[in-house]
Amino acid sequence: MSVIRASGLKKTFRTGFLMRQVEAVRHVDLDVAKGSIYGFIGPNGAGKTTCIKMLTGLIRPTAGEAWINGLPVSDPDSRRGLGFLPEGTFFHEYLTGAEFLDFHARLLNLPASVRRERIPALLERVGIGHAADLRIRRYSKGMRQRVGLAQTLIGDPDVLILDEPMSGLDPLGRRDVRDLILSLRDDGKTVFVTSHILGDAELICDHVAIILGGRIVSEGCLDELLGKEVAGVEVVVEGISEALFEELRTGATRAVSQGSRFLFEYADEAQAEKAVDTVRSADGRLRSLVPRRRSLEELMVADIEREKERAG
Amino acid sequence: MNSLQRIWVLAQNTYREAIRDKLLYNLLLFAALMIVSSIVLAKLHLGYDERIYRDVGLAAIAMFGAMIAIFVGINLVYREISQKTVHAMLAKPVRRWEFILGKYLGLVSLLVIEIGIMSGFFLAVLVYKGSPWEWAMVWAIGFIFLELALITAVAIFFSSFTTPYLAGMFTVALWIIGHLLADVRDFGLQQGSEGIRPLTEALYWSLPNLDRLDIKAAAADGNAIDAARMAGAALYAVCYSGVLLMGGMLLFQRRDFK
Repeated sequence: MSVIRASGLKKTFRTGFLMRQVEAVRHVDLDVAKGSIYGFIGPNGAGKTTCIKMLTGLIRPTAGEAWINGLPVSDPDSRRGLGFLPEGTFFHEYLTGAEFLDFHARLLNLPASVRRERIPALLERVGIGHAADLRIRRYSKGMRQRVGLAQTLIGDPDVLILDEPMSGLDPLGRRDVRDLILSLRDDGKTVFVTSHILGDAELICDHVAIILGGRIVSEGCLDELLGKEVAGVEVVVEGISEALFEELRTGATRAVSQGSRFLFEYADEAQAEKAVDTVRSADGRLRSLVPRRRSLEELMVADIEREKERAG
Repeated sequence: MNSLQRIWVLAQNTYREAIRDKLLYNLLLFAALMIVSSIVLAKLHLGYDERIYRDVGLAAIAMFGAMIAIFVGINLVYREISQKTVHAMLAKPVRRWEFILGKYLGLVSLLVIEIGIMSGFFLAVLVYKGSPWEWAMVWAIGFIFLELALITAVAIFFSSFTTPYLAGMFTVALWIIGHLLADVRDFGLQQGSEGIRPLTEALYWSLPNLDRLDIKAAAADGNAIDAARMAGAALYAVCYSGVLLMGGMLLFQRRDFK
């Protein structure tokens, strides 16, 4: 069952003094299954945020339709079970974290008893329970992102739309957000997430759509898109001579020397094993051998290059 | 019922934002200084003391009230859009008209408090100087409130579709023109030109006629004010504000939040 659906979404803006037409989104179809984590990936300016704003009723589509939980997005009731994290700043800076959540909870008509329980619990869950009574003006960027996530969850929504939720977070914060998103899926919620940090998206998403120039160019389960077969094998060795490094790099797709360590990447396992044998016979030490599948980044770069070729 | 609750929450938050805004306190301070300065001004115009206390006091309430309505009002709507706080709100089951109405009611409740504070300074000056308090002044302050509520509706209307600078300019322009419409109409009648008269008549009937709400001079003179005229003027202010708010809601409904 799909909880977010879009058909032929299109958005054209008029900009500048001459009202020049700019096609931000050309044609987007979406079908997001219940209980999945759906990654909406693309470079800056690809149309991700415009699509999200059409889904949340902030922008009216020029053409096409979209539904959330079966209701057209033009109906404000479609947002009844929706939690939305906009990108960047969207905070009433004069409010404390607890006041901010209380305001959003009251917009959802949550009773006082629920608010009293849920607000401190959510602030703890996102890791800023200690800053509940501090004005948001004094929050760090990471704390703002966390209180923003708490705002998204305040109504206990079934569907979450998160625009760049990892933006501005340090590695620890990114890990926390990844864990939070995974736990939301475990709770049966559907998460639609945009990210330009492809490694993060690859770690959490079940399903991915790549958007370029306002059109979806690749879409499917992560395993389908990236393939299960090995795309390359990384070998890290130590204690080899410069001459052997030069010899081994001839068959490698990539070779990097870093102090006493050397990294080689080979196209297949047979080549990698042959290189390991050569290293061992020269009394070198094998530090790691890691088969690597195709990454989301490689997929997106390939898509971008294909689109460039298509465009001319 | 849900709509009423959401409007109430939005109004409360608007009020809370406004009372945490330093601009409001600066304007209130200047208003207080102007009201108190009437004591000095009265010394310069011997024999007109009471008239000066009332004129300056009521003028300060009207002028600084208008500045608060225009600049704080426009800023509050603009900030919600420029700082994207409106995104998280409208991505909830909040209707856009509820947002506009909530903002308006929050600002109007701010006006009530702010007029109350300035009236307190005004009353303090009158008590200090032993000047008599008359009911006409209460009516005058009531009509200042109606004028400011209308100006706030103008500010909200322009803020719903344009930038704060333009909204500020348009609102200030309408505030000034609104007090000169009788003169504009007289000018058209005196000219007798078929080209000018329809234009001045159109302006007179379409723009907010703030002179209809101005009973400050009559109140300062201690003159009786016609009840029917007051009722008509109050109805005019309420209807005009309502039309502007509905216009603002329609324009806000069509707005894209990029």
